[in-house]
Amino acid sequence: MRKKIILFILLGWLLLVIGDRVDELRVYQGAQIAMYTIALASIVLLTGYSGQVSLGNGAMMAVGGYAAALTLNNLGSPVWFAFLMAIFFSALFGALLGTAAARLSGPYLAGTTLALAVGLPAIANQFSFLGGEPGIFFDVGLPPQRLGQEFTQYKWFFWIATLIALLALFITSNILQSRFGRTWRAIRSNPLATELSGIHSSQMKILAFTISSALAGLAGAVLAMTISLVAPGAYTLTLSFALVTGAVLAGVSSLPGVVLGALILVAIPEIADALANRLGGGENVSSYLPGLIVSILLILSVIFTPNGPGENLHRHHRKKA
Amino acid sequence: MIRKTPRKGTWLAATVLASGSLFATALPAYAEAGVSAREIKLGITLPLTGAASPGYNKIGNAMNAYFKYVNDNGGVYGRKITLIQKNDEYSPQLAIAKTNELILKDKVFALVGPLGTATYTAVHKSVNLAKRGVPSLFLNTGFSGFSDKKSYPTSFMILSSYAMEAKIVAQFLKDNHAGKKLGLVYQNDEFGIDAITAFKAAGTKFDVTVPYTSGSQSAATAQTWVSQLAAGGAQVVVFFGVTSATAPLLAVSAAAKYAPQWILGSVGSDPLTLRALGVPVAVLNGAQTPAGNPSPNDTSDEYVKQFQEINTKYNDAPFDDYVLQGMNLGLMTVQALRAAGSNPTRKGLIRAMESKGSSFASVAYSPLGYSKTSNVGHTGYYMAVMDANGDRKPFGGTVKLYTTDSGSGPVVLSTFKRPAMPAKGLPSNS
Repeated sequence: MRKKIILFILLGWLLLVIGDRVDELRVYQGAQIAMYTIALASIVLLTGYSGQVSLGNGAMMAVGGYAAALTLNNLGSPVWFAFLMAIFFSALFGALLGTAAARLSGPYLAGTTLALAVGLPAIANQFSFLGGEPGIFFDVGLPPQRLGQEFTQYKWFFWIATLIALLALFITSNILQSRFGRTWRAIRSNPLATELSGIHSSQMKILAFTISSALAGLAGAVLAMTISLVAPGAYTLTLSFALVTGAVLAGVSSLPGVVLGALILVAIPEIADALANRLGGGENVSSYLPGLIVSILLILSVIFTPNGPGENLHRHHRKKA
Repeated sequence: MIRKTPRKGTWLAATVLASGSLFATALPAYAEAGVSAREIKLGITLPLTGAASPGYNKIGNAMNAYFKYVNDNGGVYGRKITLIQKNDEYSPQLAIAKTNELILKDKVFALVGPLGTATYTAVHKSVNLAKRGVPSLFLNTGFSGFSDKKSYPTSFMILSSYAMEAKIVAQFLKDNHAGKKLGLVYQNDEFGIDAITAFKAAGTKFDVTVPYTSGSQSAATAQTWVSQLAAGGAQVVVFFGVTSATAPLLAVSAAAKYAPQWILGSVGSDPLTLRALGVPVAVLNGAQTPAGNPSPNDTSDEYVKQFQEINTKYNDAPFDDYVLQGMNLGLMTVQALRAAGSNPTRKGLIRAMESKGSSFASVAYSPLGYSKTSNVGHTGYYMAVMDANGDRKPFGGTVKLYTTDSGSGPVVLSTFKRPAMPAKGLPSNS
């Protein structure tokens, strides 16, 4: 445990040093990578470990984003408390959903969560306190003055997002290595044998849904911070599919792989832009290309490496060892 | 199969991979963003696709066409202008992401003509334009909130505000439609709220009000608007929304044989786009509208004539209000860049707008309000009426320009004479 703490502290230090050396665009993208890392960790925990397929993580992110923004704007609370509320409300929502979802599996569960991804963000349009289509602002404020004039807003976002991502990954990694993680893996591998061993698999599945939702909600709040806004347009079905793609590419049961998945998700718009420029289609083409790339990657990955390239690499490495 | 827990080395590798990629693509620092010896890079965000795109998606290409014309004639102090268009689909979240790309990745010198009230509100706050000192010229929105110079020190409007428009329409209703039952359809964000506030201040009372949410406009939702207007017996209906909402409103009304006197706000009343969206020209005949610019078909106007020539040569798109607006944005941008001098800086550009912007040539009839303490663009409208061809003519036969402010100032009949179009449409100001 002590080694792991030191390792995470070193990683954090390394990232902050790098944040100081790169330009603002990369710092901004770094914050996005941190956000996706948390979101993908929620899928790894839910799908990779407990074996529940969810296509609704974008909706869970929306719950977290709105909870954080409403807390900050209405209570005038400190930022950390807004993030805590994002975790609390999305976990609560996840527990409720998980209770219903525990009775479902396979395509039925995927269909239910898909409906959630489509419907939940659109609900914001129906309630004025949620800001409608333009959304509501989520302003975490300027960086502390003692960090100096050169310390930009995006660097501040990067710091916060990185800290949150490292904490989230550290806690998730410990949970997955605990008896909970082992039980989820057992449920995923052989539910019947697990039940016969005296484990209440429904309760364990609800717990997985709750923790996964809490992570997704936290990622939603981090996303809201990086764009200073919570709006239905930020938590679309496209986001949910992108997250699934990122998780599959990273290896759906590989927690360290989420960093690679997050990196791919942030790189896709850049690749789309470069492709659009080469194809000469301009902005019209590059608007559609990211979605197309995500779809193609997902299809190819499912056909050739159902558990994701990351998982394959890991298996190859183990065979060699 | 139950897999083993990840090795700690994998964590390190994963993070090094992420951080290494950040390092590998880091870019060097720059002196003045977007300006080189041969080029000035500008950026615009606007909806090129999506529900709100009809009409607006022509503005960027029209600006580009004008810039190409200027570039072919020597550019601005020898520098070519490059305009980068980004599609925000009229979504605040996308507008933020695309503006970030423009500023951080494309490193544009300034934003020109960013479009949309909700999108620009989000962008300004999130991207922190004021703190970064990024000039944002000629906002394609009339939300009067943007005229707050303290909050938006680097932003400059171009359109007369929605509040000004509503005040002038309120005066028109009083003069020409007194005693009739009034209806109002409006977009229920800052766009429509700005108008509602001004109508209230002017004492205009609507018998039926129908709000709609941006993005919800469709033939199905228009059915409910028309039902409410007809049930309320509205004889005169004022519309404050975008073209993609005007089109279903008019089409559904025509199908339902509901024919009030329409007063279409300037934003959603381009006849060519409305006809392209399926509105029968007969429905447009007689519709009244506040307008800032001359009709795009009025070839007797020197601006329209020049812009039409440029459009034919460089754009090859049907010449309508949006193309006219895009060309005019280009014309004003070139004047602003020239006014900033031969070695433009962002600060210099803002100073030039404040000190010289009010004298820029522009196709719109009303005066410009730029000064050290004001970022207000145009300040007035005239009332027009559409004819059987879908063309727009001044109401009463001649242009009667009314000017006002976004506050409690009076609506005044103006005698302002707009500056002449620069020779060959090429500004020579400094």
